[in-house]
Amino acid sequence: MRSIVLDNEAVQALTDARSRKHRVVVAHLAGVVARRRRGRVVEVVVPTAVRVEAGWDRTTPSAAAINRFGVLDHVLDSPCADLAARIQRATSTGVADAHIGATVRSLSSSEIVVLTSDPTDIAAVCSPSPVRIVNL
Amino acid sequence: MDALQTLDEMNRLLNISDGETVNTSMRLPVSLRDAAALAVTQFGAAPSTTSLTAAALRQALETVVMEAALQMHYEQYPSTEPTLCEIALALALQDASPLADRPDLIASAAVEVAARRPHADADDVLLWAEAQLLGAA
Repeated sequence: MRSIVLDNEAVQALTDARSRKHRVVVAHLAGVVARRRRGRVVEVVVPTAVRVEAGWDRTTPSAAAINRFGVLDHVLDSPCADLAARIQRATSTGVADAHIGATVRSLSSSEIVVLTSDPTDIAAVCSPSPVRIVNL
Repeated sequence: MDALQTLDEMNRLLNISDGETVNTSMRLPVSLRDAAALAVTQFGAAPSTTSLTAAALRQALETVVMEAALQMHYEQYPSTEPTLCEIALALALQDASPLADRPDLIASAAVEVAARRPHADADDVLLWAEAQLLGAA
């Protein structure tokens, strides 16, 4: 199983069809569909703190399009918040990035890919979990 | 219900995480049911044939939804539709494949594969490109 984790920039790019990175992120989603059609189990995940940072409110009409892409929430529950707090304290990164790190550590997928515009911070928050970082 | 409403309703239903179940009148071929039972009992494919069936159905439905959402998005914003080459490059990056550093090879492979197999997908392109890479080594 593969999980694709979106960071703030990936969400922003996916939300805005005029973004120069929009097509790149859409290509990743199209790749997910292609793999799923071949029987691979691939999911796309967004940590909920990333949604907060990106302003992605699923209940608003402006989110209707991005809501349809099947991106799953990874919620910041109590254990995840504790883990994210430790990561944030250790790395001095933002809350959303810390939640990405906590998400990566709590996913059971055998392969985890993070789409990001900030590979340095993502590498810091995900360490030592094995993760593939794709720079947008 | 139009296509967008259908998609939204499917997403809503797929996102419900309650454990409510229902007996359905869906008819399965007996041989398929028996094969599923063997997969569960002999190979531990899933906790039960019901969960195996539900997981496979969910996987299929989620794929339908994602693909339909992308198609509708392309219809609304045609310039956002990635090429076969761009999708193959995205997968190469996700795979951490050496091909990710050879977008030129992926581009030529996409052209060659599409010319021979109009319905080729991104993995066909990657396989072709990898063969080219090995052939050149």
